[in-house]
Amino acid sequence: MSASSFAEGKATIASEYSSEVRREPIEHQFNPYSDNGGTILGIAGKDFAVLAGDTRHTTGYSINSRYEPKVFDAGDGFLISANGFSADGNALVKRFQNQLKWYHFNHGKKMGIRSGARFIQHLLYGKRFFPYYVHTIIAGLDEEGKGAVFSFDPIGSYEREQCRAGGSAASLIMPFLDNQVNFKNQLDPESNGTKKKELRYLSLEEVLKLVKDSFSSATERHILVGDGLEIMIVTKEGVRTEYYPLKKD
Amino acid sequence: MSDPSSINGGSAVAMMGKDCVAIACDLRLGSQSLGLANNFEKIFNFGHVFLGLAGLATDVTTLSEIFRMKTNLYKMKEERLIEPESFANLVSSTLYERRFGPYFVSPIVAGINSKTDKPFICGFDLIGCIDYAKDFIVAGTSSDQLFGMCESLYEPNLEPEDLFETISQALLSATDRDALSGWGAVVYIITKDKVLFLIYFF
Amino acid sequence: MVGLSFDNYQRNQYLAAKGVGVPKATSTGTTIVGCKFNGGVIIAADTRATAGPIVADKNCEKLHRLSPTIWCAGAGTAADTEMVTQLISSNLELHSMSANRSPRVVTALTMLKQHLYKYQGHIGAYLIVAGIDPTGAHLFSIHAHGSTDVGFYQSLGSGSLAAMAVLESNWRDGLTKEEAIKLCSDAIEAGIWNDLGSGSNVDVCVMEIGKDAQLYRNYLTPNTRAQKSKSYKFPRGSTAILKEDIYKLVDVEEEVVNLDTMQVDA
Repeated sequence: MSASSFAEGKATIASEYSSEVRREPIEHQFNPYSDNGGTILGIAGKDFAVLAGDTRHTTGYSINSRYEPKVFDAGDGFLISANGFSADGNALVKRFQNQLKWYHFNHGKKMGIRSGARFIQHLLYGKRFFPYYVHTIIAGLDEEGKGAVFSFDPIGSYEREQCRAGGSAASLIMPFLDNQVNFKNQLDPESNGTKKKELRYLSLEEVLKLVKDSFSSATERHILVGDGLEIMIVTKEGVRTEYYPLKKD
Repeated sequence: MSDPSSINGGSAVAMMGKDCVAIACDLRLGSQSLGLANNFEKIFNFGHVFLGLAGLATDVTTLSEIFRMKTNLYKMKEERLIEPESFANLVSSTLYERRFGPYFVSPIVAGINSKTDKPFICGFDLIGCIDYAKDFIVAGTSSDQLFGMCESLYEPNLEPEDLFETISQALLSATDRDALSGWGAVVYIITKDKVLFLIYFF
Repeated sequence: MVGLSFDNYQRNQYLAAKGVGVPKATSTGTTIVGCKFNGGVIIAADTRATAGPIVADKNCEKLHRLSPTIWCAGAGTAADTEMVTQLISSNLELHSMSANRSPRVVTALTMLKQHLYKYQGHIGAYLIVAGIDPTGAHLFSIHAHGSTDVGFYQSLGSGSLAAMAVLESNWRDGLTKEEAIKLCSDAIEAGIWNDLGSGSNVDVCVMEIGKDAQLYRNYLTPNTRAQKSKSYKFPRGSTAILKEDIYKLVDVEEEVVNLDTMQVDA
């Protein structure tokens, strides 16, 4: 836009250097989003699934809370967490829980994990042009009783996966999961460099160890991660929660 | 992605073991998302000191030649090879000289002091602030991924053979999650009297 | 070539004009404090260095020696605090040799502020300068643009508000050395826990009149990492190798040459 298109008397931006004086209107804008940090992680096992998240809630360099849970048991064996801008995350989870209730009233049956995933896609895509600023992960058991993890981008593109990390330290944790859950880049040492290490389901104990070490490592190197780790575990017996402290610096 | 230090892509990592050090880098040279070459080494050695340079490729090449010159002059004046600790300070002052027009690189240094046999690693930011570490140093476009890998895989006092596995797995898994790194890798395992030089690729 | 080179400046301005950003230097989003006590002065700092939201160094040294009895805590751009401190330390030594007197804290302060003012804030060093000289114990702070402050207690860095809260509520006149150390380490700890830019350990430097300055590196270590739940050591042969070479790098042979018998061509 050329400067002459503005009438005289409009606001100008000037600095101490006269050559930098420009005739542009001063624009003020409301930024509807903020980043509340934190990280989440979901892993599917043979007959279980876990969804874990740290409990630190931040803005900028400040800690708002050292214990603000962000992984929720939505009912019907669904674990859900929407990490990023926490106001949007909470709104999404609440909307899902509310709609799940209506699903029960209308159909009188449990919602399957794949239906739940598809439904979340529609919740997210419904705000295609003013998105929920979140990375969403859900975990549960599928119709065969196998562990399932689904992860979504902010506008509803989703995929079923064996494991997925989301949030601010996702880039630190994800390659570790590739290496330790899907054994990427690992060979069978007996094969003399000819065979890949064989894939196998990890036990719940092994998965919990990986989750704890993932978060303690992310806490060491990422300033937005820490304070506490809340792990939710879903099996055919139901949902249970475990809490472990993380470093608070 | 218009950041100069992530135009060409590339990563490097160094680790400390028991009486040994390791330094590794990927081999990719690219232009934004386009891969150009799979033989662009980012590790250079000046005597028994190893320098890894991740960042803008033109600066990587320029700096490697500058340090070749400076270490050769050092060798002539001092009649001995430069030690890792001194080289670290040379890198630092060379980068800080360009404080207001920096080279877009993140260098890492690894080596064993030939007098004391003490292993040494360190890293720098683009204007020469030294990061002395006892465990590992990461650099490049996959530095976040490398931090996550190293922080979880690393343990102290690894033998050279075990250190090789740890640094290799860390680098490979990290670069696999970075579109701008990968396309092969080189690892150097440095012990008191020999250097193991290994290549492998995706 | 004397001083800093601006050779790449034009190139980078050109790059910037094409919409290319400048990468971030490691900054010490820091907590640093200083406090006077009966018979001396102490400074303290945390040990975290960050690059954006990532912790670049978990145990860096932010306490710098300007002279044996004058120390300085640095916040801001890590390279700048380190380099400006080394430069002034060196000039201070030369100055004290030519004046044949031990350096004064105000001299260090003046050299630092004049240097920083010259660079109009582009050298991003925020410093707390403290020390002992023949005129007594002193405590100052300097901002990147060159302004300086005097006070019985000071705090700087991203955690300065957390630290100042502690200093303001617990400081009093006539503290003993032990009380001052406790006050400063408490103030740093407030930064470590409540400011995300600060973390890990507490370093303290005590400068007492008539004594050598004492650096307590890692005076407190409240953030040691707990044992991991599992070892991630790989079995040997887990990684694919394409090619393997062995170099013997250090192999120097010496030979004694008799100069008398050596043939020298004209």
